[in-house]
Amino acid sequence: MIHMHNSLAIRIRRAASAISCLALVALTGLAHALPAADPLKVVCTLPDLADITREIGGDRVDVTTIYKGKENTHALMGKPSHLVAMSRADVFVQVGLSLESSVVPGLLENCRNNRIQPGKTGFVNVSEGWSALAVPTVLSRKDGDVHPQGNPHMNLAPSAGQHMASVIHAHLVLVEPGSKLVFDQRYAALVKKLDDASARWALVAKDWKGRKIVVYHKEFDYFADAYGLVIQGSIETKPGIPPTPNHLASLIDTMKREPGAVILTAPWSNNDNVEQVARETGAKIVELPNMCGGTSGAETWIGMMDTIHKRVAEALPTAPAAR
Amino acid sequence: MSTFIVQRALALAAFSPAVLAQGPVFQTPGMTSVPSNYSVPGSSNDSGQANRFSNVFNPAFSFVVDSLVDSIHNSGASEDGERIELRSLEFAAQSWVDPSAWAYFVAVADEENVAIEEAAVHYTGLGGNHTLRAGRFFIDCGKQMQTHVHELRTIRRPLALRTFLGDEVKGDGLQWDSWTSVSDETAVRWSIGAFSNLLPESVKDIDPETQAAQSIADRKHAEDFNFTARLTAFTDVGQNGVLQLGTSARVLPRFAYTFEPSGDAAEDLDNTVFGLDATYGWSDDSGLKSWTFGGEYVLDTGDTYSTIGDAGTPGDPTDDSVDVISDELNGFYIFADYAWDKSNSVGLQYSQVESPEAGTPDVSETEAYYTHLFSEFHRLRVAASGQNREDGEDSTRFAIQYTVFVGAHGHGVNW
Repeated sequence: MIHMHNSLAIRIRRAASAISCLALVALTGLAHALPAADPLKVVCTLPDLADITREIGGDRVDVTTIYKGKENTHALMGKPSHLVAMSRADVFVQVGLSLESSVVPGLLENCRNNRIQPGKTGFVNVSEGWSALAVPTVLSRKDGDVHPQGNPHMNLAPSAGQHMASVIHAHLVLVEPGSKLVFDQRYAALVKKLDDASARWALVAKDWKGRKIVVYHKEFDYFADAYGLVIQGSIETKPGIPPTPNHLASLIDTMKREPGAVILTAPWSNNDNVEQVARETGAKIVELPNMCGGTSGAETWIGMMDTIHKRVAEALPTAPAAR
Repeated sequence: MSTFIVQRALALAAFSPAVLAQGPVFQTPGMTSVPSNYSVPGSSNDSGQANRFSNVFNPAFSFVVDSLVDSIHNSGASEDGERIELRSLEFAAQSWVDPSAWAYFVAVADEENVAIEEAAVHYTGLGGNHTLRAGRFFIDCGKQMQTHVHELRTIRRPLALRTFLGDEVKGDGLQWDSWTSVSDETAVRWSIGAFSNLLPESVKDIDPETQAAQSIADRKHAEDFNFTARLTAFTDVGQNGVLQLGTSARVLPRFAYTFEPSGDAAEDLDNTVFGLDATYGWSDDSGLKSWTFGGEYVLDTGDTYSTIGDAGTPGDPTDDSVDVISDELNGFYIFADYAWDKSNSVGLQYSQVESPEAGTPDVSETEAYYTHLFSEFHRLRVAASGQNREDGEDSTRFAIQYTVFVGAHGHGVNW
């Protein structure tokens, strides 16, 4: 009798375990199939990344942005609101390539949020897999504020939209697989918009190859590289190093000997040095956004690139200047 | 049972070589295991194993050269004239120890000696926003005291802090640090530290023939440790501003003054310094143009000062006594900085302290300074300061400070 009783008890326990497992599997499946109630808290460094994240995430993401749009990307200081947002975030999105090194390392270390630390699915480095320009073969401060991983201004490459969107999409799906369908659909729509925009920009820039530009900071190298624009020089002596009188004189001399360049500058760098070079060489100054929000019309990443193409097209001479 | 023991023994035998292979070359019983690094794959010393000559996990090293040229003119009898000095050469290293701890040290050489100013471990494995720091480090008291002098906005630390706390105050101890958010725009941080001795370095500079030496016992009861505490909050103010408020204390529960020639001592003394600080920073949309305003009020309480009483035979120090003054002394500093681009800024700072003795003068100091950054790691500062005493013995100082930072420079400074 006792033996029978024990057998029954064992069978009941096994049945209960099986039901529990099935219920757990069903609940897990349900949880993955249905979006969670609260949107993902996403902190993006640049407004560019915020725009792309919103495009893909829709109402499944609640996005906070660290940069506002007119800053020197290498000089921003962190604020209390940044620290608090990072401490609560499910996902953190950065450009990387040491672009945001003035603010991100301190925030990452102090926010103590394990979900967004490097290596976790919530840490999104959109330059991951990107072929950077100007990767230094020798690292020396003699070359100014060098970035060990290469030129960090990849957000200004016309092809960067697709790359950034691809990385952000992949991470959002990893963090919230239950919203995969939503993310996939919105991502596909964004890629279509980006492809259309790329075709539009290629048309605008079809005659730009060989045209000369001068930059204040090496922010527009990817943009120039995409269309074969020739960077005649930079107003900064070296990246991050303000110009010396000798350097300015040398640059002005070169621009006078080989005229035709336009000066590309960002809102933060449109300063007295730029004016001096323009005044002494007769070159046009073109102020361009270096991230979304930098100027009117640049509220979205596609809008920003439209603005950049339009302003450069308006400033460049209609025919290549005589060399 | 015997099968189980054999299985466990085999498992341990299989595991042990992998562990020992990363230890020292030869290890005697009872010695602790010393971790070693890995050799670079493919290099000539790549044995496929860790060894003591591998350097791939070496910490980040840096050094700072801080030099000063100055000229001091006094209206009184104090020493004046010009001087060129290498004020300090700082050598530092920092690295992660494991996933939950990082360590650093800072050694500083001046004209006379080399000192380990900081050597500490930050342990972050407690979870949440908590950090334990253990070792030797600068105190977290007020807005400035964690910072080394060469990293300040000014040539010297403000007069009020120098007088009541010391130019640089470090201690061997333990500190708990944590923070929390109280709104989307506001964070609050606090710390509590216990140290063996928080007397400033300057106590060693006294003249033992005319002044009493301040001392704290090496071994003491826990309640006699020296303590620091700080509570600070910072918050966004609009789109471009940040405001920080803080309050701090440094407590010396038991110390002594001893006058060497007579052997007289005043013991069981205590001293506490309280501070209240406020800082507001504003920067334009580019982040390059900025204003910073700040100030700190400091209250020195308890046994604040000692004098030598010549009560016995006049002129004979062997029967002199130590007289301790218990008082509340006030001091403060305020400053304003303006940076008009990434490379250039100017500032003005005023500091004042109350005299510890009736009849001796209050002192004030005004410093104006211009800072030029050739780059993030290369700085030139020109400053003019004036110190005014109520007794009329004023001094003026002109200084040029030239500082370079080489390598991955940084300290464990909290906000």
